[in-house]
Amino acid sequence: MSASLEKGINVLKEVIDAPIASFFASCVHCGLCAEACLFYTESGDPKFTPIHKLEPLRRVYTQEYTLLGRLQKWLGLSKPLTDEELEEWRVLVYDSCTMCGRCSLVCPVGNDIVYMIRKLREGMAVSGHAPPGVIGATKRTVEIGSPMGVRWPAVAAQIKHIEAETGLTVPVDQEGAEYMILLSSMEIINFPEYLSAIAKIMKQAGKTWTLCSDAFEATNSGIQIGVSDIARVIVSRIVNGAERLKVKTVISPECGHAYMALRWEGPNLIGRPYNFDVLHILEVLDQFREQGLLKTEGFEETRLTFHDPCQIVRRGGVIEPQRNLLKMVAKDFVEMSDPGKYNWCCGGGGGVSANEDAEALRLVAFKRKKAQLEATGAKTLVTACANCRIVLEEGLEHYQMDMPVVGLTELLAEHLVETEKPAAQGG
Amino acid sequence: MNANGSLMHKLALQGVSRRSFLKYCATLATLMALPPTAGRAMAEALAQARRPSVIWLPFQECTGCTESITRSHSPSIESMIFDTISLDYQETLMAAAGHQAEEVLHKVVEENAGKFILIIDGSVATGLDGAYSCIAGRSNLDLLREVGPKAAAIVAVGSCAAYGGIPKAKPNPTGAVAISDIIRDKPIVNIPGCPPIPVVMTAVLAHFVTFGKLPELDRLGRPRAFYGETIHDRCYRRPFYDQGKFAKTFDDAGARQGWCLFELGCKGPVTYNACAHVKWNAQTSFPIESGHGCIGCSEPDFWDAGGFYKALSMPADPLKFVAGAAVAGAAVGVAVSIANRARKGAARAAHETATLADLEK
Repeated sequence: MSASLEKGINVLKEVIDAPIASFFASCVHCGLCAEACLFYTESGDPKFTPIHKLEPLRRVYTQEYTLLGRLQKWLGLSKPLTDEELEEWRVLVYDSCTMCGRCSLVCPVGNDIVYMIRKLREGMAVSGHAPPGVIGATKRTVEIGSPMGVRWPAVAAQIKHIEAETGLTVPVDQEGAEYMILLSSMEIINFPEYLSAIAKIMKQAGKTWTLCSDAFEATNSGIQIGVSDIARVIVSRIVNGAERLKVKTVISPECGHAYMALRWEGPNLIGRPYNFDVLHILEVLDQFREQGLLKTEGFEETRLTFHDPCQIVRRGGVIEPQRNLLKMVAKDFVEMSDPGKYNWCCGGGGGVSANEDAEALRLVAFKRKKAQLEATGAKTLVTACANCRIVLEEGLEHYQMDMPVVGLTELLAEHLVETEKPAAQGG
Repeated sequence: MNANGSLMHKLALQGVSRRSFLKYCATLATLMALPPTAGRAMAEALAQARRPSVIWLPFQECTGCTESITRSHSPSIESMIFDTISLDYQETLMAAAGHQAEEVLHKVVEENAGKFILIIDGSVATGLDGAYSCIAGRSNLDLLREVGPKAAAIVAVGSCAAYGGIPKAKPNPTGAVAISDIIRDKPIVNIPGCPPIPVVMTAVLAHFVTFGKLPELDRLGRPRAFYGETIHDRCYRRPFYDQGKFAKTFDDAGARQGWCLFELGCKGPVTYNACAHVKWNAQTSFPIESGHGCIGCSEPDFWDAGGFYKALSMPADPLKFVAGAAVAGAAVGVAVSIANRARKGAARAAHETATLADLEK
């Protein structure tokens, strides 16, 4: 195994760019980011102050790229980074950061802290300081094809099951389809309802769609662990698959970081624009709603609330679609405190849910979500991210809260108007 | 020099009308920022009241202060007032001399103990027990210690009496000190200036005669009415200062156009006096109006406060260095940027594509 401190520092030197230089130069040490971070607010430990998590990156920046820092390094006043320090920082950079971006949002001088965490992870990963759980997920993604070790045969089995259950066809590798559907392995294993819901909705909307047998997995552990070289390999699978099938739009599933990875990081990783669009499933559903292609009947009577996944809402800008869609099927929809772009993370994003070392901390951080949920008096929790969903379910179970968590897509599918079922529209 | 007859009569003999006198008193009141009615009160008091005895003692001085008050513009109302009040002892002006004069002094001091006004010009020599300056065989120090405690109030006229002045300038060979350094338990008014403005002296006396007390003083014992503002604040050249227009030499184009003399050493900004608005020589002008900067003569230790032609501080000319600073800054920026680019480039060149094997040690 070839991770080394030298490689890590070299990568940090490589990733430090003008934005990072200006962020470090403009930080006024106000500490507002601390209050924005649920790991700080729930634990009260100041070491979880977001900007403090970047100390190793700041050291490399000042030592390598500032006159004063170089002078200090030369005089021995500023010590070089050590493996011990990076190991100590693993908890701060991986375990206690879900890359939710709330700190970036509140920073009064506009420092994009999560952008810097992402860059610091590049150095942490190749110097061997990534958490074993995330390393495992990354290995499985590269070697097997999915972070949870799911291969195509498992998907094919799910397809068979869904086709039998719904009587609909699930198209695979269909060239020229309008939409290419991606899945997260969480959905394949834990929430097959998602694919079933997609089949029903696409049927009703009369849209052509397909799965791609060699690019079904949407998630990207390379981004969570912070290795662009690996992330590029993973995202290239989707790009190649979509281009091979000549689809117009690739739909990111109910998964936050998959959307961020594919829509925002992807083109930068491969170094060129895509020749297809990327939309989140919520955006597609909202388009269908606007075009009158999504017809529902009946309402949920119980009180619902919606958990906004950070990557979709705060970092993705998808805020209204989920609310428009919920109103179609829910009579008693209530907002949590801090809804929309200020929402609090479930505590398991950014690779934290794959990181066993972080589990205790994640449950501490969940106290925030627990308090938010309790204040709403909602009976059911709706979300649009399979990772959030599993983390929420675990948190609710830990705190012995009896509250089902459902995905918005499948909730909508349950209310689809059945009368339009006839196969008149083909497919 | 006892006054016989009313002041008005004396003034009339000198060709000063009652109307001029009233105007003069109104001017005094105005200058001291007193209400307009105070002018009439002053006129009545000066014209009628029994005027207190005044003793003028000269110590280490040049008689310039006396010259100022008596010869400012002859015949002046100031000098008339001094002629007319009960000025019982003034070496320069009195006819008596020798033992007779000294006898008068001691007689007046004894008769008016606790009531007379003591005017002093000149500093007090303390070196060699005061032997540097003696009158009739007695040192100024000795005389002050005898007469000072018996006065109702002391008026220290001129910068020497007020602060030690030129005699106290380094290296101060006579051990000169101010009056207030010797006498501490009497009200003392300092009227600094080298010399002071005549009307300031008479205004203080008029105030004392009219209201029976000294005018309001500042922390250096000066009448606030005259020493409340700096020369700079009231200077007619101030607009040029504000515009950054400074004469560089006494005969350059700027000087001819009346630009600010700050860079030629004007001490106006740190000098508290009334020259700029009360003016000199029958309101003709004041030093700056004559083309010379203020030397700050009414401030303590003005003689040792740097050169008269040395600017208080050189105004920073931000534009003078901006080009140089910009070039230097840009050069440093470019150098750092090139160095940083090289480092980043080297790091990029050293990059080996990360693989799964790179995730663990």
